[in-house]
Amino acid sequence: MKPAPFDYAAPDSLEEALTLLADYGEDARPLAGGQSLVPMLALRLARPSALIDLNRIAALSGIAVEGAALRIGAMTRQAALLASGEVARHAPLLRQALQLVGHPPTRARGTIGGSLSHADPAAELPAALLTLDAEIVIQGPAGERRVPAAEFCFGPFETAVQPGEILTEVRIPLHGPSGSAFLEISPREGDFAVVSAAVRLNLDENGLCREAAVVLGAVAPTPLRCANSEAVLHGRGLDSKTIAEAVAALPVDAVEFDSPFAGRDYRRRMAGVLVRRAIEAALQLQGEAA
Amino acid sequence: MIGASPPRVEDARFLRGEGRYVADLRLPGMLEAVVVRSPYGHARLLSIDTAEALALPGIHAVITGADLPPGIARIPCRVPTHGEMSGFLQPVLGREVARYFGEPFAVVIAENRSLAEDAAELIEFDWDPLPALASGEDAEKPDAPRLHEAGNIASRWGFDLGDVDRAKTEAAAVVEETFTSQRHTAMPLETRGLLASYDAARNLLEVFGPTKVPHTNRAILAGMLDMPEGDIRFVEPDVGGSFGARGEFYPEDFLIPWIALRLKRPIRWIEDRLEHFAAINHSREMRFTLTACADAEGRITAFDVKLLADMGAYIRTHGDIVPSHAAAQFPGPYRLRNYRCQAVAALTNKTPTGTLRAPGMFEANFARERAVDRLAAQLGLDPAELRRRNLIRPEELPWNTGTESANRPVIYDSGDFPDVLARALNAFGWDKPRAAQNGPLRRGRGIAVVVEPSAFGPFEAARVEIDVRGRVEVISGCSSQGQGHETVLAQVAAEVLRVPLESIRVRHGDTGLLRYGGGTYASRTAVMSGHAVTAAAETVKAKAIAAAARKLEAPEDSLVLEDGYVRLQDAPEVSLALGEIARLLAPGNPELTPPPPAANAVDQDGLTATSHIRGYPSGTSVFAVHLAEVEVDCETGQIAVKRYLLAADIGRAINPKLVEGQLVGGVAQGLGGALLEELTYDSEAQLQTGTFADYMLPSVAEVPRIETMVIEEARSPSNPLGVKGVGEVGTSGVAAVLGNAVADALGGQTGLNALPLTPERVLAALEETP
Repeated sequence: MKPAPFDYAAPDSLEEALTLLADYGEDARPLAGGQSLVPMLALRLARPSALIDLNRIAALSGIAVEGAALRIGAMTRQAALLASGEVARHAPLLRQALQLVGHPPTRARGTIGGSLSHADPAAELPAALLTLDAEIVIQGPAGERRVPAAEFCFGPFETAVQPGEILTEVRIPLHGPSGSAFLEISPREGDFAVVSAAVRLNLDENGLCREAAVVLGAVAPTPLRCANSEAVLHGRGLDSKTIAEAVAALPVDAVEFDSPFAGRDYRRRMAGVLVRRAIEAALQLQGEAA
Repeated sequence: MIGASPPRVEDARFLRGEGRYVADLRLPGMLEAVVVRSPYGHARLLSIDTAEALALPGIHAVITGADLPPGIARIPCRVPTHGEMSGFLQPVLGREVARYFGEPFAVVIAENRSLAEDAAELIEFDWDPLPALASGEDAEKPDAPRLHEAGNIASRWGFDLGDVDRAKTEAAAVVEETFTSQRHTAMPLETRGLLASYDAARNLLEVFGPTKVPHTNRAILAGMLDMPEGDIRFVEPDVGGSFGARGEFYPEDFLIPWIALRLKRPIRWIEDRLEHFAAINHSREMRFTLTACADAEGRITAFDVKLLADMGAYIRTHGDIVPSHAAAQFPGPYRLRNYRCQAVAALTNKTPTGTLRAPGMFEANFARERAVDRLAAQLGLDPAELRRRNLIRPEELPWNTGTESANRPVIYDSGDFPDVLARALNAFGWDKPRAAQNGPLRRGRGIAVVVEPSAFGPFEAARVEIDVRGRVEVISGCSSQGQGHETVLAQVAAEVLRVPLESIRVRHGDTGLLRYGGGTYASRTAVMSGHAVTAAAETVKAKAIAAAARKLEAPEDSLVLEDGYVRLQDAPEVSLALGEIARLLAPGNPELTPPPPAANAVDQDGLTATSHIRGYPSGTSVFAVHLAEVEVDCETGQIAVKRYLLAADIGRAINPKLVEGQLVGGVAQGLGGALLEELTYDSEAQLQTGTFADYMLPSVAEVPRIETMVIEEARSPSNPLGVKGVGEVGTSGVAAVLGNAVADALGGQTGLNALPLTPERVLAALEETP
């Protein structure tokens, strides 16, 4: 389990990093927290020609509210996000998801941008950011572009980030008071999920659902936004009957993953259980907040 | 000192980071090895081209099967087996046919491991895949791929005791079920590793790293290399776990020393985790087709078992001992005399198998105890009550089951099983009223009663030496894989020699220090090495008193040994320090043995003694009660273990803290096997679990606090200390008790016959519950 040979550079600025990526060509890879890439190197599943280490670029880390968005630098550690009052206040769902990401040692190194760029279908952060309608900021030779979370993941380990580009920032809109929940089933605490469900709800003063986001993770090549379920919830009081309807509208046919520990049928059933529980938990949090 | 829990002697070096594992060792001129393995479960090797790999700078050799010495023997079995196994033994390197994913086919020797891995990728193998045999059930089918000229079945044997058919006819309750235990493995956190070096000046081949049975492995290596055993020295460094798997004689245990001799360079091989998954012994894959009978009074009257064990592709050092244990000890702690078993050891295209903590017992206990709960349900009896009625009674011990394994009779030596059960149930609060179930989270509780054998092996050796400064050196034939043997054996020596622990040093696992040694397996070290150290220390003590009697001109029975001195009982100020006695007894010292005689003085070897104690053929056995409470999420099938109590009568604890550690660690390991760990293969016999991301060991979040109830009443007659082995009894009953607890939570006796108890299996059982 020794990596195949590669070159290594650790630039101090984003500009330098982009230049290095351009110089090394499309087999070069940026290195963020290394919690997925380094094991893949050891297994020789990843064989980059060069690693461009982003850990010395201070400008890529930080959490700040700016205008109507929470801005998070791509190299911000998951542990820092968990400890952040801004995240707890403005994006509680992100915090709920982070609690399920790995373990304290992996969160101490792992970054938000690294997790997103890696785009493991079972990872919590891509699903959470999709639920939060986040925007992903990408820098490349041609400058900056912004991609909605819904268009960010293409497939397992495939994202909108192109060779030569670097994911630099995540922007989460300030959703105002809302209830949310991120639930998952994993064989052990801290494992990748076999099913995850993220729900964000915003109720009006009459208790009717003003906005709903429902996302399933770990069951398909990319996180699944469950538009039909959201439509069921929209504009209605969320009693158990409505919740059951929303569960019935889940895209279970799109649940395709299958593994020895969690078969496809099990994942389909669990999608319903988790979404129901997540809606109930989100409602309870929204109630407590109100 | 016996019965105390001093801080472990080993702890200081580990806490300072001074432990030395085989991967910490380096020798001048050392090269590193990488083993290149079959990527197929079953394939014919058409050709190997190593030219490109050899051309890489820093590569010293690429060894393939063609380079092996002509007529090189296959790796032998080291235990008695049911019949002839020579047609199924493993070669040290494959040549023509790969029979499992991970079978060694080449070894790359390079300046360092990274270069060796680069070169390994450049070896060109031309494989022709063959149909694979991926399950033991298929081994006997007419269209099954034939794995060996000798066939696909390594052995068949059985027992037929009492009158099983009559018991079936007369039974009031009959359970017929099939239970399976899944393939998993010991997974020590330190992988295997070896450093071998030949020193021509001393004519000595030194091998660092092998553990468990160093003397046995040396004998095997000497045989395969056709070298005198005295020209080979095995040295055990610090070791991070074995659990029965690490330290057996594997292909690398020949290849690395042989390559060191051939290249005349020290060679180090450190197994990585990827290859560990495919290379180290697997275990536990068994199927029990079981009929269990009871009469109307709640007497369990018969077990009728068909046992099928998936042995993997070759028979290794353990022969068929794992299913043999399961077959011989299946009846457990019950006083029944009608027992039939027909056992089959089948070969498949998977990694070969061997022992894993509570080998055969974890599996058999699961099948038997799940069946006993079903009998209880049929009879309308509380599961604890049914067990109470059927436990072997104290006056019936020693109890001979009438079976045998590896030519050893199964005899339970001592204990009061019903008393241990009563105390365990009381501590657990078994009879307290239970809360009503509501909502998707349901509570359930389970019970399992087990007898765990320990302390097998024909002998053990120890040597005790006291030097002129009164320092005690204890040399044991055991090996240590992290259990704390240096502490325990020092305590045993201190008990006899009445010296503080600080003046005792324990050495082990070094064939250069002791000609014979048994090793560490079958929970034997406290019993066997404890016995051997006691015997050697007693001899030293007797020698010291005899010498002091002569020097002080006092009768021996007027002398006592205390605080490192032999003293006159009635005048303690008249004394001789042990170190002084060692000086008196040193060869050539004229004070007690004046010159001449010039003849060889046989006993003039200082204040030392060597012991070789014999083992009890049936070892010694621990009775234990496992009790657990679980919470099952009936919507997701997830199991949370809320409470776990293990009560065991271990005879006597040398170090209670280490006993508790063994019991708790044993339960944690069993919990992995019951709920999480599985080595899965696809239909082509491709191993699918290759990393810790998909082979799930229990973590701190999955293991609850384990309560232990250590009872020290049934002293073992097998050894002077009265101790029993505790290494495996914690693991032995975990699947059994958790299966029963989950079934109880679901409110019925359906399903839960297959391990691990995954959420899907829990939901399936729930759906079948009436």
